Amino acid sequence: MVEDSEIISVVNEQGESIELLSVDEWIADIDSNVESGKGVVVTPADDVELLQESLHKIPLIALDFVSFDDGRGYSQATLIRKRWGYSGEIRGINAHLDQLQFMLRSGVNTYDLQEQYQGSNERDYTHGFSICYQVAANNDGMKQKF
Amino acid sequence: MYQYNTDDTAFLVERVDQFEKQLDRHLVGDLDAAKFRSLRLRNGLYMELHAHMLRVAIPYGILNTEQLRALADVADKYDRGFGHFTTRQNIQYNWIELPQIANLLRDLSSVGLHAIQTSGKAMRNITADPFSGLTEDEVEDARPYCELIRRWFNIHPEFSWLPSKFKMAINGAKLDETALQIHDLGLKIVRNDAGELGFASYVGGGLGAAPMVGPEIHPFVPVEDIISYLESVLRIYNLKGRRDNLKRLRIKFLVREHGAAEFAKMVDEDWQHGKDDPALKLNMEELTKLKQDFTLPIESLDLVDFKDTLDINYSIWKTNNVRTHKVAGYSVVNISLTQLGTAPGDATSEQMRMIADLADKYSNSELRTTKRQNLVFPYVRQDQVYALWQELEKSDLASPHNGTLAHVVACPGADYCDLAKAVSIPIAQQVQQRFDDMDKLYDIGPININISGCENSCAHHHISDIGLLGLKKNEQEFYQITLAGETLQETVIGRKLGRSIAGAEVVDAIEDIVNIYLDNREEGENFVDVFKRIGIASFKEKVYG
Ligand code: SF4
Repeated sequence: MVEDSEIISVVNEQGESIELLSVDEWIADIDSNVESGKGVVVTPADDVELLQESLHKIPLIALDFVSFDDGRGYSQATLIRKRWGYSGEIRGINAHLDQLQFMLRSGVNTYDLQEQYQGSNERDYTHGFSICYQVAANNDGMKQKF
Repeated sequence: MYQYNTDDTAFLVERVDQFEKQLDRHLVGDLDAAKFRSLRLRNGLYMELHAHMLRVAIPYGILNTEQLRALADVADKYDRGFGHFTTRQNIQYNWIELPQIANLLRDLSSVGLHAIQTSGKAMRNITADPFSGLTEDEVEDARPYCELIRRWFNIHPEFSWLPSKFKMAINGAKLDETALQIHDLGLKIVRNDAGELGFASYVGGGLGAAPMVGPEIHPFVPVEDIISYLESVLRIYNLKGRRDNLKRLRIKFLVREHGAAEFAKMVDEDWQHGKDDPALKLNMEELTKLKQDFTLPIESLDLVDFKDTLDINYSIWKTNNVRTHKVAGYSVVNISLTQLGTAPGDATSEQMRMIADLADKYSNSELRTTKRQNLVFPYVRQDQVYALWQELEKSDLASPHNGTLAHVVACPGADYCDLAKAVSIPIAQQVQQRFDDMDKLYDIGPININISGCENSCAHHHISDIGLLGLKKNEQEFYQITLAGETLQETVIGRKLGRSIAGAEVVDAIEDIVNIYLDNREEGENFVDVFKRIGIASFKEKVYG
């Protein structure tokens, strides 16, 4: 996806278009990237530790959930949101309906679905479970049992 | 016995509701095959060529009789009247219709049973010692810890899409009935010098084509820190585990690649960030509550004047199937589902109900399952063992073969499994026919034979006294024999005897092996003792000579 440069920008929660850079591009010139308001796109294989130092200067981080079975994005989101306390927008791109609640609980707060399904109710998958058994970046509205 | 509360049941229902929607979407073509596969496996559903198999979890191997009856009802209502108890303390149904699955799972959720994460690339049902809480010298009853850790991995948001399956075992006893070092993660409950409880942690064990005994990566994780430690192990695996090479997905390859010390260090570094997080501390109040819930339902009995019945068949059965209990006046009784001539682990609905009735009458309505595909009655009064035996006899469930060499553990093999390279059950039956003399069996004692139909090693042949692995060469079935694998005292992978042996000759080879053991055995020695003393050469010579 990203390799194909299909996604080069996303529209953030405020309705502004944000151009996305790879992790390498971001760290190559952090100051000017901050200045020009660029965001970062993280692929599953990326090491998010590279972003830790400049994390709070990034206006938006997009995590790519391109492959359904590749669960690295959930750990990346957890590190960024829960461990390092990033408060900006974490966008799940290429997200999957059936995994939305996992993604949101891990710290992603907005998403673009890879596929739309007619006749399915998104809420069934963002709020399918009302009970949770473990700490997470975001357990809002869930009954916590641990 | 511990029971799920209403929240837990509500959670199970939510899970079924969601899975039902996914099934419906799949049936109308609104969920592609690959995603649906990933989702259905996490709900225990395998789709085979001719039928669908559902694997239901028996959490850490404990069942009450209400649950066993529900499993029997499911067998009747949705399958062909039987279920298969596996070597991993689960039960499988082989003939399930897709549109029925949600109803089946709803029926089970009403008794606290489910199929969550019984398959797929996720954390699986915990293997536990079937004798937890029952043995005199155990370090700690593992059941409350199993329950807390089971809760934690239910639909974990961060660790539900791992590189591969992830199997855990927890043992609190001195002897290791769980074979924890052949699991992706094994936790051994230990005490440190100050007398505090913690977990020695072993990672990266496994059987299959590249068997490995999991190395220790931490000698003592304090009880209250276990969740944060597990999170770190899983995080390292989730982020760094191989996903590119289908043959190297399991955590053992990651551990092997980095070495145990380096892997331990990576986990430790991550753990430094989590271990002091109060939200990640084990809930000690809940632990105390669970310990109460798991209190044994019996008190010691004074049976000093009791004399057990003398009966030759009864005593033979008793020697192999009855263990001492830590509570005076009680026994632990083993019931084998492996009948001569039937598939190991299979139970009919009728047998399940009958066993449930017996457990109500003789064992406080509780039973346990084991990796040898047995059921265990944990609370039988010593003065009622004979009566129980008589009832089992009537129903053909007290075969004196139990606990002898004739009690072979075999996977479904080529008769039922698409992955098989060779048959398993027919070989088990031939072994039983060859060794049909009770006196001889009794003399041989408890040698374990395990037969797997392919390298997936579902029958755990690597950790058996005599292990057989089915292979196919030029369209012919062959068996690789391994000897003297063990896990109780220490974990050792069985040694290969030599070149593989044709199906028609493999039972002769087993007989040779047993004879070498008998010829060399000294007072009180078991198979592994003899093997260690005389080495593999004499066995080789006899079989191939
Ligand atoms: S060991 Fe192989 S043949 Fe046997 S049940 Fe497992 S996958 Fe099937």
